[in-house]
Amino acid sequence: MNWVRELRRLLKEARGKRTDDPDGLEGGLTCQEAADHLQEWLDSELDEEMAARVGVHLETCARCYPRLAFERAFREAVERAARAEKAPPDLKARVLQALESEGYREE
Amino acid sequence: MKESMSMRPADQHQAFSREALPELDSVHRFALRLAGDPSRAEDLVQETFLRAWESWEQYEPGTNCRSWLFTICRNLFFKEEETSRRRRALMDRETDLTAGSEPSGPESVLPTRFRRPDEIVFEDSVDDVLLEEIRALPREFSMVVMLSDVEGLTYREVADLLEVPVGTVRSRLSRARARLRETFASHAEARGWAVAV
Repeated sequence: MNWVRELRRLLKEARGKRTDDPDGLEGGLTCQEAADHLQEWLDSELDEEMAARVGVHLETCARCYPRLAFERAFREAVERAARAEKAPPDLKARVLQALESEGYREE
Repeated sequence: MKESMSMRPADQHQAFSREALPELDSVHRFALRLAGDPSRAEDLVQETFLRAWESWEQYEPGTNCRSWLFTICRNLFFKEEETSRRRRALMDRETDLTAGSEPSGPESVLPTRFRRPDEIVFEDSVDDVLLEEIRALPREFSMVVMLSDVEGLTYREVADLLEVPVGTVRSRLSRARARLRETFASHAEARGWAVAV
């Protein structure tokens, strides 16, 4: 679709010259509109057109980018923290043993 | 039953090894959030994989195996909860106790208490503190964070799994993240980051 290509081109261009223009409407959105969609954008829950517009705004707006960077760092920390909770080492052996008694063969 | 499962074609054994077993850590995390008790969570994981193997022919290869396993785990957990609830209710009647039964089901809220930010030990690593905060969240909130932010399920998949509307998933996720973000921001600020939340 043409508008997607166009937005990608703008994004590529804008990455090299992040703006401090307070009146900037990167992606055709105000900072408030972009902030309203930040969570859904990070969750990949927006439709393709809106995702592209929000992406352009967040990645190129000097005021919004720190918020995006913070949110990404926060999300990464939550995921890392939760993944530190591993199953005990003997649980897999226990599960396999139970499965084998039900006819499962580990290949 | 046992004989027929042992006679399954080799490709079913291979598919189970390839698709289901690698999800053990994820199912364990899910079971921990559900049950809240490590020993019970381990039993639940074992029962989940046994049930999954029994029902493996119902699984469509290439679909979301993790989500399928979560559904089995969830159903087993709430079935056990319901059995325990009925048993307790019966015992209560028999002993003429007036105390009500404990809540159960997806909407229940486990007793919990949030730590105030000033109670947080700033020397702890942020990961340790965040994990504690996730554990301290009421179950319905920790579940959505785990399913969405850790396991990568969509809002719709989380809603289907927890049998709540998508709007409820959004609002729980927003509230849970706000709580965790506050903790993260405190740590970030303590380390000199400029935080704009």
